[in-house]
Amino acid sequence: MLEAFDLPFMQRALVAVLLLSVAGGLLGAWVVLRRLAFFSHAVGTATFPGLVVAAPWGIAAPLAALGSALLFTAGLTRLIRDPRLGPDGATGLLVVAALALGALLASDVYPAGTGVDQLLFGTLLGLDDADLWLAAAVAAGALVLTLALGRTWLATGFEPQTARTLGVSRARGDWALLAGLAVAVVAMLPAVGALLAATLLVVPAATVRLVARSVPQLLAGSVLLGATEGVVALWFAYELDLPPGPVLALLSGVIFGVVALGQAAAARRPVPVP
Amino acid sequence: MSEVLIEAVGLSTGYAPGEPALRGVTFAANAGQIVAVLGPNGGGKTTLMRALLGELPPFEGRVDVHGEIAYVPQTEQARLDFPVSALDVALMGAYRRTPWWKRLGRAEHDRALQALDRVGLRERAKDRFGTLSGGQRQRVLIARALVQDAPILLLDEPFSGVDRASEATILGLLGQLRAQGHALLICTHDIEQGRGFDRVLGVHGEQTFFGPGAALDAAALERTYGSEIVTLGEGAAIAVQCHHHDHEHDQHG
Ligand SMILES: Nc1ncnc2c1ncn2[C@@H]1O[C@H](COP(=O)(O)OP(=O)(O)OP(=O)(O)O)[C@@H](O)[C@H]1O
Ligand SMILES: [Mg+2]
Repeated sequence: MLEAFDLPFMQRALVAVLLLSVAGGLLGAWVVLRRLAFFSHAVGTATFPGLVVAAPWGIAAPLAALGSALLFTAGLTRLIRDPRLGPDGATGLLVVAALALGALLASDVYPAGTGVDQLLFGTLLGLDDADLWLAAAVAAGALVLTLALGRTWLATGFEPQTARTLGVSRARGDWALLAGLAVAVVAMLPAVGALLAATLLVVPAATVRLVARSVPQLLAGSVLLGATEGVVALWFAYELDLPPGPVLALLSGVIFGVVALGQAAAARRPVPVP
Repeated sequence: MSEVLIEAVGLSTGYAPGEPALRGVTFAANAGQIVAVLGPNGGGKTTLMRALLGELPPFEGRVDVHGEIAYVPQTEQARLDFPVSALDVALMGAYRRTPWWKRLGRAEHDRALQALDRVGLRERAKDRFGTLSGGQRQRVLIARALVQDAPILLLDEPFSGVDRASEATILGLLGQLRAQGHALLICTHDIEQGRGFDRVLGVHGEQTFFGPGAALDAAALERTYGSEIVTLGEGAAIAVQCHHHDHEHDQHG
């Protein structure tokens, strides 16, 4: 039954999924705690203009995407300070601008055929060594960031007013979290694409969040669930001859729904809003 | 012990340059002193705390702080949906002295449990912070400040929402810290309680009083709560009677 994973391209996909679920689970735990789901989605979409110009300008696609995502993040950290706009408002404003710019570039400036659809949806079954090394680096980076800044992220997320007196730097922590997310999303692009990167970052952690009783439980649980969902989705996709990215998104969405409903039934209270 | 741990000299501060919310503050808190900060709503008590913490810049004058500060904020803005226990929150007080590559060890756990014990919440240590009552959460944040073991403590209305018995326990605890040489600043609306501390600082947009509680006379009270006396009949009656008819305070307050 598992002969699917005898094929080299499936083995690569398997390694990629496991590595990305480490990064996705660890950072995803902070995404759901710090309410950054919209940002995680937006930063993936914000790579769009970078990806459109990558080939014509002769820049490696991941670099162009990373540049685009970091510009977006830098712009956001500036805009976010304006209390009239708020974090969601600022994110929405910038992502619309990025999408519009990308669409203009793609339709008017550069002819079709830049493979935008592939970059939006990813090709988990066609990864090369460089993609795997990038995923490994991001997994290691997410681990180091979580160890080094986990307390900062917890204290500032829990109660920003006193973070400074507890000896943690809110500005440094926030910037590192947003930039780390931008890098992680870019690393996920080849596999799942911009539109589904948010799946890996948000959905497993949001699911575990429903039942986790402590932050370490949330971190470990998100990684484990993300890895399991990734492997199962790969296998399903192979057996049913479907693209793995959307299968993963659907599967993790269904599991979230089942856990949320099960929990609500157990507690006999309304379905919690994720 | 009488070294100054925290002081302000001619301090003027606020939220927009050119529009100070608080002016002319000159006071000092020594090691082993509790300073009560009195003032009406909007008088500038919280503004003063934030300036002492360095969150608000001095427009004029200066702030001198000698040592770490532990802070218990007034309106608790903690996220109640976080998967953290009362113990986890108390342990945050140990973050500053624990480098990131080290675990929060046994000694810190014991210290945090002891702090929770001192605010009467030892048996709730494992409970989710968000499932505690408002007053209990306030006490957990006080426990966190205890774990910080900072020489200076700023407490902004620490007893709001705290029941009388717990208030007495915590007051006893703050007295112990004072005896150990900490300097404490406590914002309060309880004039009689404030009078009982080492020094009283009155603020109402500007400093109205600084000195021992015994010297807080009717004129100083009126400067501090003055506009309230004019506009709020009831509040004025209480504020004035606090001074002139101490024995009637309980009937009114
Ligand atoms: N974030 C803010 N931005 C602008 N002005 C503020 C802000 N916070 C407080 N103020 C203003 O500063 C003044 C002092 O407010 P402050 O919060 O220091 O009063 P307080 O003495 O703590 O009152 P309370 O007893 O209600 O806690 C008020 O006029 C208030 O409107
Ligand atoms: Mg206040």
